[in-house]
Amino acid sequence: MTVYNREEVLLQATNVQLTFDQHPILRDINFCIRNITRPGLLQGQVVTLIGRSGIGKTQLFKVLSGLQAPTAGQITIHNNKSVKAGDMGVIFQNYYLFEWRTVYQSLMLAAKKNKQLWGMEKQTIERYAEQFQLTEHLHVYPQQLSGGQRQRVSILQQLLKGSDFILLDEPFSGLDVCMIDKAVELLLQVSLSDELKTLIIVSHDIEHSVAISDTVFILGTEPGKEGATIKKEIDLIERDLAWRKDIRREKRFVETIEEIKACL
Amino acid sequence: MKKLIEPFAIINRQTFMIMVAAQVVITLLLWQSFSDGLIPKPGKVASAFVTLLGTKLFIENMLVSLLLTLKAMLYSILITLLFAWLSVLPFFKSVALFIVKCRYLTLTGLIFIFTLLTKDGSELKLSLLVFGIVPFFVTSFLSIIVNINPQEYELCKTLGYNNWQTLYEIIIIGKADQVFEILRQNFAISWLMITMVEGLSMSEGGIGTLLIKYNKYNDLTNVLALQLSIFIIGLCFDYLLGSLRHWLFPYSHLKTATK
Ligand SMILES: Nc1ncnc2c1ncn2[C@@H]1O[C@H](COP(=O)(O)OP(=O)(O)OP(=O)(O)O)[C@@H](O)[C@H]1O
Ligand SMILES: [Mg+2]
Repeated sequence: MTVYNREEVLLQATNVQLTFDQHPILRDINFCIRNITRPGLLQGQVVTLIGRSGIGKTQLFKVLSGLQAPTAGQITIHNNKSVKAGDMGVIFQNYYLFEWRTVYQSLMLAAKKNKQLWGMEKQTIERYAEQFQLTEHLHVYPQQLSGGQRQRVSILQQLLKGSDFILLDEPFSGLDVCMIDKAVELLLQVSLSDELKTLIIVSHDIEHSVAISDTVFILGTEPGKEGATIKKEIDLIERDLAWRKDIRREKRFVETIEEIKACL
Repeated sequence: MKKLIEPFAIINRQTFMIMVAAQVVITLLLWQSFSDGLIPKPGKVASAFVTLLGTKLFIENMLVSLLLTLKAMLYSILITLLFAWLSVLPFFKSVALFIVKCRYLTLTGLIFIFTLLTKDGSELKLSLLVFGIVPFFVTSFLSIIVNINPQEYELCKTLGYNNWQTLYEIIIIGKADQVFEILRQNFAISWLMITMVEGLSMSEGGIGTLLIKYNKYNDLTNVLALQLSIFIIGLCFDYLLGSLRHWLFPYSHLKTATK
């Protein structure tokens, strides 16, 4: 059993509801994400949000990031501060980038927002670009990138911004097997870069996202009630499924995946 | 051959050029055979066109008109940019929307008021042109602003931009290339109006006055030759503004290429 602690609350959702034209999309969403600590490690948090298509994942994602105000309830981060747009790094489903900015310019815009990078934006961008295999593509426009390159720029842009929370909507869609492994590697790397880094992944790709997570939330509907809510929370650390490299081959992992699928 | 009338069929460049050439030849033949004494034959117009190009009269008048158009376009685009940028502030939104509706005002009825407001003929012409062009420019620009992809705003928000920074990034910087597209698309309107406006104050000359003179003497050959040169200069500007846009904003080229 790994030694770990769940400490202070990093993000809290309280009674969140979202209604569009009298149709509840989300209701009674309550959960909290705590800082997980492990001795001798900078262990960030990775949370996966799973649910069927059209259930409201993207909407919850927008509410969490402060882009969409909930009809009722609230999301608070860092000691009860209400979340507002810009507090979180948000990577959308289709990796939108400003079409009129080169990759370098786009990254610079984000780096300039990060006070910790003052004076060394350029070096940081170059270092990250190297790591993300983007060095040759720094001076082209988004239209000239492949899907995977675009995704890496998108992720890198939000990383450079330096927020503790990184939200990713479908980070594995449209990537080939090799690229998925790279993306997984990348996310793990990010989650280990800072004690407070918290990744929230919304994905259809249950295996890949669960394999790197410590907690899974399942979004679904309950009979007789309109609107989706968190139907189930699975603590993967407790089941000893978190932070293990080749977890995907183990039987217990496969069983958990089956359990999640049955829930959808 | 069948491809030529098939929807979305892609034909190669060479075929296209041959097709265009054939169409031009057919048009000229039709013109040649159906024109009688009143309507001059193409050959006559062509030779008049060549002689016209060499005359000092033509060059001087053309320069006057071009200069006036360019001046009017410059003023118009500045006014347009100001109002279009400000249109995202609620206070200026109504003003911008009103300007858009001004397209339905005809200039003819306002000439008198403008004559009272301006000092001399050239000022009258310029202000009439600007007044005529601006509504079209603003209309184009506002439709660009309305059609902005919501994701552009979302990305700004996630980067923590405030509303002023968003205005700067998306509308001022992000749509700068569109300014050239607006100029290009509306150049035709300015060019159309210049001939009309120039009739109002003949003393400064211009192709509009030239046209009126030829029309008065029923010199149809020269009228057509002049029309031809107006048409060609219009095309040149269209091309020039298009290339300028691609040169200044390389990404605009990418956008149209993938569409
Ligand atoms: N602007 C809107 N107005 C009304 N209903 C909306 C709006 N946007 C989304 N919805 C509805 O909200 C529900 C949830 O949409 P959402 O995009 O969050 O689904 P999702 O879980 O992300 O699906 P997917 O996995 O396919 O991306 C859908 O039923 C959709 O019809
Ligand atoms: Mg979605």
